Amino acid sequence: MKNLAVFIDSKNGQISESSKRLLDLSSSWLVQNGLEGIYVYGFEEQSSDSFNSFSSIKQYIHITIPGLVNNNQVIAPLLEDIKQKEIDQFFYVKSLLVDSIAAFLAESLSIPLVSNVIKLAKVSDGYQLTKSIFSGKATLTTEINNNSFIAAFNKSFTFETTSQAGNLAISQAVIALGTDAQNKLIENYPLTGAIPLPDAAIVVGAGRGFNDPSNWGIVEDLAKELGAATACSKPVSDLNWRPHHEHVGQTGVKIAPKLYIACGISGAIQHLAGVNGSRKIVVINNDPEAPFFKHADYGIVGDVFDVLPRLLNKLKSH
Amino acid sequence: MKILVCISVVPDTTSKITLDSTNTRINSEGITFIVGPYDDYALSRAIEIKEQTQAELVVLHVGSSDSDALIRKCLALGADRAVRIDTAALDSYQVAQEIIHYAKDQSFDLIMMGKESIDYNSGIVHALVAHGLSYNHFSPVMHLELDANKLILEIETDSGKSKVSTTLPAILGCQEPIAEWKIPSMRGIMTARTKEIAVISPIHSNFEQHIAAHVVETERLQKMISAEDAESLIDILKSENLI
Ligand SMILES: Cc1cc2nc3c(=O)[nH]c(=O)nc-3n(C[C@H](O)[C@H](O)[C@H](O)COP(=O)(O)OP(=O)(O)OC[C@H]3O[C@@H](n4cnc5c(N)ncnc54)[C@H](O)[C@@H]3O)c2cc1C
Repeated sequence: MKNLAVFIDSKNGQISESSKRLLDLSSSWLVQNGLEGIYVYGFEEQSSDSFNSFSSIKQYIHITIPGLVNNNQVIAPLLEDIKQKEIDQFFYVKSLLVDSIAAFLAESLSIPLVSNVIKLAKVSDGYQLTKSIFSGKATLTTEINNNSFIAAFNKSFTFETTSQAGNLAISQAVIALGTDAQNKLIENYPLTGAIPLPDAAIVVGAGRGFNDPSNWGIVEDLAKELGAATACSKPVSDLNWRPHHEHVGQTGVKIAPKLYIACGISGAIQHLAGVNGSRKIVVINNDPEAPFFKHADYGIVGDVFDVLPRLLNKLKSH
Repeated sequence: MKILVCISVVPDTTSKITLDSTNTRINSEGITFIVGPYDDYALSRAIEIKEQTQAELVVLHVGSSDSDALIRKCLALGADRAVRIDTAALDSYQVAQEIIHYAKDQSFDLIMMGKESIDYNSGIVHALVAHGLSYNHFSPVMHLELDANKLILEIETDSGKSKVSTTLPAILGCQEPIAEWKIPSMRGIMTARTKEIAVISPIHSNFEQHIAAHVVETERLQKMISAEDAESLIDILKSENLI
């Protein structure tokens, strides 16, 4: 019997919601597939009770990163650790950092790495992984006849739980990634203040309908009142009205919030490709023919400069 | 300097996705194919670097001869020659193995491609190739400046942006605003006709067998609220626990 490795994401020691769900999925998967235990890898220190509500975890391994994670040499110590642990399968929720580590593991261990997995099943001679493709417009189920694989989950993954036994006391370990002289960090520009777009539960998007960057105050005020992140269409970031990391769509960030409020955006198919995953969509546009209305749950035909201030007032009066 | 740009060929972003009769593949009938938009950014920046440094610029594609017209377009934009590995692209691992196999003794200084293809959105081919070739790797790269033997890059990270420096050889996954998409000139189109597209046999190494595809239809309510009554939206959103 072999083990499962799960890479988790956390901020200030708090395991992210999607990583918690992944640990739940992993415990159930373990039981259903007769695997032995779970090694959890993360990038922050964790208190011993972080894993109280999850079963079958053998150890938490805190990976420290002294520099950048950008070549074989840097990741090699992790590979050594993993080789000793008899790990068959690796799960993580898609992130840039773990993508780069996972690609290294896939390449070094010659195992498949399947991205954007939303569902996982064991079949007689292998595994079936269903992945989201075309930015969520379709899914593809793919079969691999290899016992060992890496699954990079899309945040929207689903699974069936199996009831779990009690918790085990888990041990902790630390491993440090290597450094090299070739890659140097010059400066970090963390996203400050605002809520990061990919994680936001509510997103307010604004398009060319706002005419001028000086008109974004109402968008920001509304977003602030709602605890929402702000997004924009591609032309808006191309014109440098808004920063590029706010651009959503086919060629930008893909979002899947519970609520997306699109204001002054026409709803081009390339824009929709990045927001289709939203649970509910509100569209505010002064053109009743705007294509976005066909993809909206709630639509208001109106001028954003009239409607948004009124929505904000109403929110504030509650 | 020798630069390789890897391009994916994908359905035009306005395509309506339908399935073929086997229900395992996207129906390609009636669909216009384009060079992956992110790959196009990578190619555009590579062309600028070529113009600046007289580098040799090679374009690589894993796919069938159906893609030759699009490869020709890359040549018209300014690539010197092209290589096509003659097999359908099936999964990231396979595509990466084909690229590694081709590039391993070609001593490219810089390999560029889009951060992801817009069909499968996996975004890991560049990372797989980087590890296979032991190159430095960064993605998504939003700015790239050449500084002697060093690259100064602006990259997106999970928590924001970073400016980093790296050395060649390196492989980069690119996204806007690394460069503006380019349009081929008449002269480019003429000279592209005589440029070489070398066809290479594949090594075949796919893991995944595609067994079923589904088109996802999200049903939207399409309820209209009159502008005079806009405030009622807030009550609706509250009652649905959306805010
Ligand atoms: C390969 C490719 C990739 C692309 N990728 C993306 C992408 O990732 N993301 C993206 O967004 N786009 C992308 N695009 C561009 C896309 O096709 C559209 O051009 C773009 O989304 C339009 O942006 P917009 O809706 O802000 O502007 P417009 O299409 O100009 O729409 C502005 C809207 O605002 C409305 N409006 C104007 N004034 C007001 C007012 N006072 N009150 C209310 N409404 C008002 C108008 O009725 C109109 O519907 C891509 C295009 C290509 C070719």
